[in-house]
Amino acid sequence: MVEPMLKLAPEYEKVTDNQNPKMTAKNVSVYYGDNHAVKNISLNLNRDEVTSLIGPSGCGKSTFLRCLNRMNDTIAGCRIEGNITLDGEDIYDPKIDVVQLRARVGMVFQKPNPFPKSIYDNIAYGPRIHGLATARADLDEIVTRSLEKAGLWQEVKDRLEAPGTALSGGQQQRLCIARAIAVNPEVILMDEPCSALDPIATAKVENLIDELKGRYAIAIVTHSMQQAARISQKTAFFHMGDLIEHGDTTQIFTAPKEERTRDYITGRFG
Amino acid sequence: MTDHTISAYDDELNELRSIVSRMGGLAGDQLIGSMQALKERDSVEAQRVREADKELDRLEALAEQTAIGVFARRAPVADDLREVVSALKMTTLIERMGDYAKNIAKRTLAISESHPVVLPQTLETMAETAHRMIQDVMDAYAHRSAEAAIDVWESDEILDNMHNAAYRQILARMMETPDYISVYTHYLMIAKNLERIGDQATNVAEQIYYTITGSVLEDSRPKGDTTSTEAAGE
Repeated sequence: MVEPMLKLAPEYEKVTDNQNPKMTAKNVSVYYGDNHAVKNISLNLNRDEVTSLIGPSGCGKSTFLRCLNRMNDTIAGCRIEGNITLDGEDIYDPKIDVVQLRARVGMVFQKPNPFPKSIYDNIAYGPRIHGLATARADLDEIVTRSLEKAGLWQEVKDRLEAPGTALSGGQQQRLCIARAIAVNPEVILMDEPCSALDPIATAKVENLIDELKGRYAIAIVTHSMQQAARISQKTAFFHMGDLIEHGDTTQIFTAPKEERTRDYITGRFG
Repeated sequence: MTDHTISAYDDELNELRSIVSRMGGLAGDQLIGSMQALKERDSVEAQRVREADKELDRLEALAEQTAIGVFARRAPVADDLREVVSALKMTTLIERMGDYAKNIAKRTLAISESHPVVLPQTLETMAETAHRMIQDVMDAYAHRSAEAAIDVWESDEILDNMHNAAYRQILARMMETPDYISVYTHYLMIAKNLERIGDQATNVAEQIYYTITGSVLEDSRPKGDTTSTEAAGE
């Protein structure tokens, strides 16, 4: 490839990271026993932005995502090195209350996992245990607001006592997002949130993510290139535990700098 | 570049590339044919060139269809996206080159019916240069060479300068022999057509550069054409 002899068009000159990231990961490595699953990764999550983590299976993207709210703590033999901060505060500091951390950094999983409780209680559970509300009226308000934000209120307002598991897959996933929102998180992590959903349910969740990005920093792991291109402002490409490239989504999907990124997103990976 | 995991995707992109290359070759042939007809005052050849332009139109429509199919089926990104978008633009540019050649053929029909007037040598030189630019830019495309594309991009200034010379030469002849002013007006327009073919080749070069590098060439190319700003007699 030749050196661009002339100046790049302005859209390619944008600065990738803003100066005030919500979360900062610096030189993060994760080991499962002897397996070095995530290698020395530095990556910021910016406020009001969606960051997509893409890469082939086993590239370390989900492992990295799970470091951001210490979900890997529970895995035996898992060791994490490096530094991760939320608003400048080290989340691996022994003084950190992990339960509180996971309220601030919520997570939505691949398979919708509503509690075997009513729709209402699915949302109210978090605020109750975190002591955000005890009075019924306050809880009602949180439940209503969270379901509204998750775009689910109109569909479930007349059956809040029905079991959450009785909803469709797409509704269950939005219920899980509403559940994460209910405890006033600052960051939302999503691990392939649409992989079990049909295109219409996927579109609704993507639309929701788009609306939520103004209030939260969002990181999403996805296997769908098109989804990453549609919903995120930043894209990070992982391969075999390395962060190969991280940049503006438009730049990554029109003119990636790294050959491995190009090969992966264009479907040339052997 | 390695192949796609889905080989049908490669087949579709290769089909698109092949249409672009065929169009480039055909546009070059059309230029040669039209100039041959002009030199020989050959109205049969001129008519053939006019008819043959339909093939370029057909190929342009085929390229568009193929590209839309790739968008719909493959949702191309990165190099593939640039490739398909550029192919769409390039086929429009090449089709336009064909239109200029067709216009030369059309004027040849008119010229061949008038009193024989010596063809200015500069027009032939311009046509050779324009033809070489088409060949070079299509070679740059076939070999995916950004350097070769830049060479074509920069060489347009030579054709612009030739156009300036042809313009002055034809203008001088018009003043010398006002009886043949209508033929010389055709020559003037033919010179402009040749200059425009060079411009299209330059634009194709820009598309090739973008396809290969992902960067956009800034519009700071040296431009030599001054005929639009000159007053007669200067």
